[in-house]
Amino acid sequence: MTNAVSSPKKRRLSMHQKQSLAGWAFLAPATLLIFVLSFYPMFSALLTSFKRGRPTALEWSDPLIRNYQFMLRDKVFLQSVTNTLTYLIIQVPIMLALAVIFASLLNNRNLKLRGLFRTCIFLPCATGLVAYSMIFRTLFTYDGMINNVLLRFGIISEAINWLNDPVYAKAVIIIGLIWRWTGYNMVFYLSAMQSIEYSIYEAARIDGANGLQQLTRITIPLLRPIILVTAIMSTNGTLQLFDESVNLTRGGPGNMTITMSHYIYNTMFTKNPNFGYAAAMSFVILVMVAVLAAIQMKVGDKR
Amino acid sequence: MREGALAKYTKKTLMYLFLILASLLSIFPLYWSFISAFNNTQQILGGRMIPSVYLVQNIQNLFEQQDVFTALKNSFATSILQTVVALAVSSIAGYGFEIYHDKAKDSVMSILMLAMMVPFVAVLVPLFQMFTQAGLINSWIGFILPSISTPFLIMYFRNSARSFPRDTLEAARIDGLNEFQIFVRMFVPMMRPTYAAAATITFMNAWNAYLWPKVIMQTNDSITMPMMVANLMGGYVIDYGVVMAGVTICSLPTVIIFFVLQKSFTNAVAGAVK
Amino acid sequence: MKKLVSLLLAIAMTFTFCGALAEEDGKITIWTWDPTFNIKAMEIARDMYLEEHPDAQIEIVERLSEDIETAVIASNGDTSTLPDILLVQDNSFQKFVTNYPEVYADLTGKYDLTDFAPGKVAYSTIDGKNYGIPFDAGTVTATYRVDYLEEAGYTVEDLTDIDWNRFLEIGRDVKEKTGRAMLSGQAGAVDMVMIMLQSCGSSLFNEDGSVNLKDNAALKEVISIYKTMVDEGIFIEVNTWDEYIGTISNQTVVSTMTGCWILSTIMSLPEQKGLWALTNIPKLPNAEGATNYSNNGGSSWAIINGKDIDLALDFMQIYRNVDFYSAILPETSAIATYTPAKDGPAYTAGSDYFNGEPIFATILEYGAQTPSNITGAYYYDARDALGTAITNIILQGGDVDTELATAEDTVNFTMGF
Repeated sequence: MTNAVSSPKKRRLSMHQKQSLAGWAFLAPATLLIFVLSFYPMFSALLTSFKRGRPTALEWSDPLIRNYQFMLRDKVFLQSVTNTLTYLIIQVPIMLALAVIFASLLNNRNLKLRGLFRTCIFLPCATGLVAYSMIFRTLFTYDGMINNVLLRFGIISEAINWLNDPVYAKAVIIIGLIWRWTGYNMVFYLSAMQSIEYSIYEAARIDGANGLQQLTRITIPLLRPIILVTAIMSTNGTLQLFDESVNLTRGGPGNMTITMSHYIYNTMFTKNPNFGYAAAMSFVILVMVAVLAAIQMKVGDKR
Repeated sequence: MREGALAKYTKKTLMYLFLILASLLSIFPLYWSFISAFNNTQQILGGRMIPSVYLVQNIQNLFEQQDVFTALKNSFATSILQTVVALAVSSIAGYGFEIYHDKAKDSVMSILMLAMMVPFVAVLVPLFQMFTQAGLINSWIGFILPSISTPFLIMYFRNSARSFPRDTLEAARIDGLNEFQIFVRMFVPMMRPTYAAAATITFMNAWNAYLWPKVIMQTNDSITMPMMVANLMGGYVIDYGVVMAGVTICSLPTVIIFFVLQKSFTNAVAGAVK
Repeated sequence: MKKLVSLLLAIAMTFTFCGALAEEDGKITIWTWDPTFNIKAMEIARDMYLEEHPDAQIEIVERLSEDIETAVIASNGDTSTLPDILLVQDNSFQKFVTNYPEVYADLTGKYDLTDFAPGKVAYSTIDGKNYGIPFDAGTVTATYRVDYLEEAGYTVEDLTDIDWNRFLEIGRDVKEKTGRAMLSGQAGAVDMVMIMLQSCGSSLFNEDGSVNLKDNAALKEVISIYKTMVDEGIFIEVNTWDEYIGTISNQTVVSTMTGCWILSTIMSLPEQKGLWALTNIPKLPNAEGATNYSNNGGSSWAIINGKDIDLALDFMQIYRNVDFYSAILPETSAIATYTPAKDGPAYTAGSDYFNGEPIFATILEYGAQTPSNITGAYYYDARDALGTAITNIILQGGDVDTELATAEDTVNFTMGF
């Protein structure tokens, strides 16, 4: 009798354990890879951030946090932080809002030519980086098309040196980012919308809800997990922004548009290589991203 | 009533105008690079918007200067390999994190998130040294290894797994499927839109990858498409017609992949999914 | 679906090790960039070498300059992934040898450098040891569009052997009459400023390696002229290399002043054939030691340690052969720094693009009169700081003394690490 009662209980427990074990087995390969290929080099970079000297003869710096102290006095680094945060604050909200709007418009089954619109809006992120940066530069350059058009229509009286002006050059980077990544985020929203029953929208429409109400009351709440993922990714991506700064403006004019990652790259690969300082700056980015991600999780992730 | 219809009509027109404008702006650079493949340097820099007659010559020059087939072969191989492996490794991990979540697994997940927060340039040197020792320089494995397990994909699949119904899971268990079978036979087919979106994005990232490949792919035989296009622009003489022919060839595969896969993550197959 | 996946995986796996590194002995691998210039020259060298050594194996790999630099830094002292020979920008040479002395082979006494231009050899000489085999010259030329000058009533003689004050006068006049700017250049890269500075033998560093920005009178003179040119629209600042090339191909500017390798760009523009004239650059009006000659760019070959150095050196003897330089000139427009090359037939010939003038001989003459420049390991740090200073001065009305002092602090700060 006692056996009969206790044995299923024991078996249930072991089944739960078995499932948990299966879970561990599922996540093990990915976790292992990340530990070996990300955390190990990160750890080695962390150690490097306390060192100084020639790359092949690094020695512990004195004091150990010397590289971190230098950062506060490094005007270019501070400039790169300001630039990066400017891009983040302006670009990410605009881009994600646009992506949600596009996704919900394109999710409407009564829309004609949806496939065509969808493909068009996605195309920017399928365009190679080289093409994209070259096209933007060619458009905005001093004797480029934008100036030619504006001059012809008399909107401006003298050509604007877009890429060589601190404010305009930043604007070009932000426009470039929004142009390139809106469709990318839209893809995630569109796929997530497949798990929303379409009949909810039809019911809402019968109840007289307009497009905006459908968006704010149905789409956004149901898409929250994916919006959170994309928000964290975009924040992360913008804080590590590299390609646009390198390819669109070369960080110029005079480091006015340089991003943190670009400056780290320069510190390692174009200037006299300073591995210690580059590593230290990387960890400052890590802390910034981690803090922002934590805030976003707190706000967005209500299980 | 008529006023309502008019407002509705205006709204609809505005919506279409907005979408058309967005579409035109979006395709313009790709259109321009495609058109420019037909033009010569002077026409391209002069902002010519219509095709001229230099396509054949540009393509000939391109194939003379660069080993386009090798670059295409390498780009396809690495991108397909990376997409398949990354989706397999990351989706099962994301599933594991969500379906079997407990305190310990949640903390592991938070730790993994840290991995995406360090700029790649910071780990480039230690990573390169590891790969040199492992003999992975100039190999496809070396190319894909750093990006097959990404916190982003894991997180994406984990969040998507939230919509995997618990009832289905329990029913499958009662039917005697083991945990791996449930993942392969129930989760994967049900999450086709999720996989299609992830595959599109992963393929595209792999195809356009530049910083890591140019460090690790060091021979003429291991060059990829973006590296080839960059090579076209590195000299004292830049033939933009050739560059644009290269850019167009380089952009086509990602566009085609999107065309093929977009059906899966939009409601064309909604019936099959539900 | 599953079958498809596993099939794809299997295919991919089998291809994986195709490109794996398999370096046999007796093979020379070379990394360099630009198929119309350095690569072309190296291919000609290879073919000449193969005539005498039919069994030699020489592989030329196309890699961009920045990719080569990244690869050297990423390998961080381990030469196993590096080639036997690679090309180094002259301005970076000191930085790389100082940071990675174990990577670059010391060629002192192993390669005869006596007939190369001494100013050129200096770029790859560190602490009295030679690490480089000089290749192309970066001798600065001023090239003008004769048609635009004519439109404004000038000839190229009016712009020969002048100083910058006269250049500014002409520049204003040309701008007024033709609406065109005289010059263009990359703003942050400060090429123009560096060219003007070197023309009077001044550098960003002193002989002892200390920074020379805030008390550099010549630099201040240069900045003042440069600012005037930009302010008055005589000089168009662009941001990137291809925009700069664009201002020449688009016929936006009347002239360009940079290293003579730009001839390679000019000669790729057939519709501008015969419209160009070449002369020397203006000199600084006040600076001590001012000349009409300068240098910008150019590169040298380095041989990598841990490889078959003797074999590489044997191959590189081609670069001491007059016939070689005569063969590459018409193909690449790469101007030699090997002095005896000037007697080769190609150098005395005229050029279609420059109205039949024997420009190559002229450039070699300019090269001989160019003052040398101090680079050092922190050269690019200094250039970057100077670029920021000049941007602040020009775009934000910054004060020259304050900005240069800040720039000097920045470089000192970096050097203090």
